[in-house]
Amino acid sequence: MEEKALLELKNIGKSFDKNVVHLDINLKLYQNETLGLLGGSGTGKSVLLREIVGLEYVDHGEVIYHDQPIQNLKEIDLFKIRTKISYSFQNGALFDSQNVFDNLAYPLFEHTDLSLEEISAKVAEILGLIGLEGSEKLMPSDLSGGMQKRIGMARAIILEPEIILYDEPTAGLDPSNTQNILSVMEKLKGTGVSSIFVTHDIPAALKICDRILILYEGKIAFSGSPREFIDSENPIVKEFFLNSIKEV
Amino acid sequence: MTAGITKKIHDTVFMIGELGYLGVESIKCCLTRPFYFSKLMEQINLLGIGSLSITIVIGLVMGLVMTLQFGFGLAKFGGTLYVPGVVALSLTREMAPIFTSLLVAGRIGSGITAEIGSMNVTQQVDAIRALGTSPIRVLVVPRLLAAMISLPLLTAVSNVLGILGGMVICSVEFHIPPGFYFQRVFSTVKLHDFSSGLLKTVFFATVITLVACYKGFNTTEGTKGVGQSTTWVVVVSSILILISDFFLSKIFLLLLV
Repeated sequence: MEEKALLELKNIGKSFDKNVVHLDINLKLYQNETLGLLGGSGTGKSVLLREIVGLEYVDHGEVIYHDQPIQNLKEIDLFKIRTKISYSFQNGALFDSQNVFDNLAYPLFEHTDLSLEEISAKVAEILGLIGLEGSEKLMPSDLSGGMQKRIGMARAIILEPEIILYDEPTAGLDPSNTQNILSVMEKLKGTGVSSIFVTHDIPAALKICDRILILYEGKIAFSGSPREFIDSENPIVKEFFLNSIKEV
Repeated sequence: MTAGITKKIHDTVFMIGELGYLGVESIKCCLTRPFYFSKLMEQINLLGIGSLSITIVIGLVMGLVMTLQFGFGLAKFGGTLYVPGVVALSLTREMAPIFTSLLVAGRIGSGITAEIGSMNVTQQVDAIRALGTSPIRVLVVPRLLAAMISLPLLTAVSNVLGILGGMVICSVEFHIPPGFYFQRVFSTVKLHDFSSGLLKTVFFATVITLVACYKGFNTTEGTKGVGQSTTWVVVVSSILILISDFFLSKIFLLLLV
């Protein structure tokens, strides 16, 4: 019997005015699976993540989570789903008028009945996980880009979601920070979380992902394991590889 | 040309619809839980208490200038004794509500738009939504309620200071004793004059906040967009205040006369 998908996208289409971003996207995400979503700039990788979590409406197609279509749900009905499917923003998107503690505690105050002591303990625990212990009182402006991304990631995972959508978490980071981010992702993967990892970073994708997809001209042009990705004779995969090497 | 005009009309109608939606959703959020009391207090401090000093200056200066102008104007016809009543009535019904609201539109309207606009272009508004919470509840409701509470209070301060300013000028320039001045003020200005002015400001506060929040949520194009949005908000909310003041004045006059 085929394993049941946790999240499924069926025939997703999306345009912004005359700019067609997605023509016909189909993908499935299974329990404890990490999908790497690669593609050139402007191919709509981030838009796809936003569609999944309901930050953008799709023009056509279905976003199915636990057998329930969620693409047409009202904003208020999406709130509960967003505690289960969390979105880690590319730049962290931290609340810049609040310190690290308030940023991390925000979802806990909103969605749990934990006491202040329990929330403080949870925040300290998550900061330990991302290697930023004791940074509760720092403001986002006091943090480096890499630290902001890690705090943003911590805020996305603090409610222990089922699915995490990572939007280029390693973009623009030095190798050390990239490694920090990847080790957090690996730790989370070990806890059974499923995720979609949008990135241009092929080595990172090969290291973390169970399956790699390439988004090209509004469709999934390739889907396969990291091994199949490396060995692929698909011209789109080869072109993507070559362009990535040129960029490096 | 025609296409441009059609698009402009379409965009305006669309904006009015979105503003209406924002208003309705804000009222719904005001009436349901959770309610962010600490954020409300923070906004009252920022919008209300923060605007106090400039309100004091405006109120006082308004009273001084109006009394001076009315005093010299009416003196030609021997009507100096009417100055306290005319000044107090103009202040409470129109001048204090309008001037305070225009001032607040410039100060807090642009501030709200700049803050929410910056949050929008840096994806912080998206982050609020992605964390399963409503930006209207978190960002709009505390500002809306804070403005609805603060603006009438600021206007009341402006009224009082304007009338006191009038007393000073009447006393110094026109030799009207303070006791007589206040007797004329209280015999002319009734409670409904005072309350109609304050009620207007509740409406103006709603207009300023909703327009400012709406523009903040629709700010694009980075910091340049934030600058453009703040200018737009000050202009549009000022125009809306002046136009709506005419209709509100008409309604209150029909109700009270």
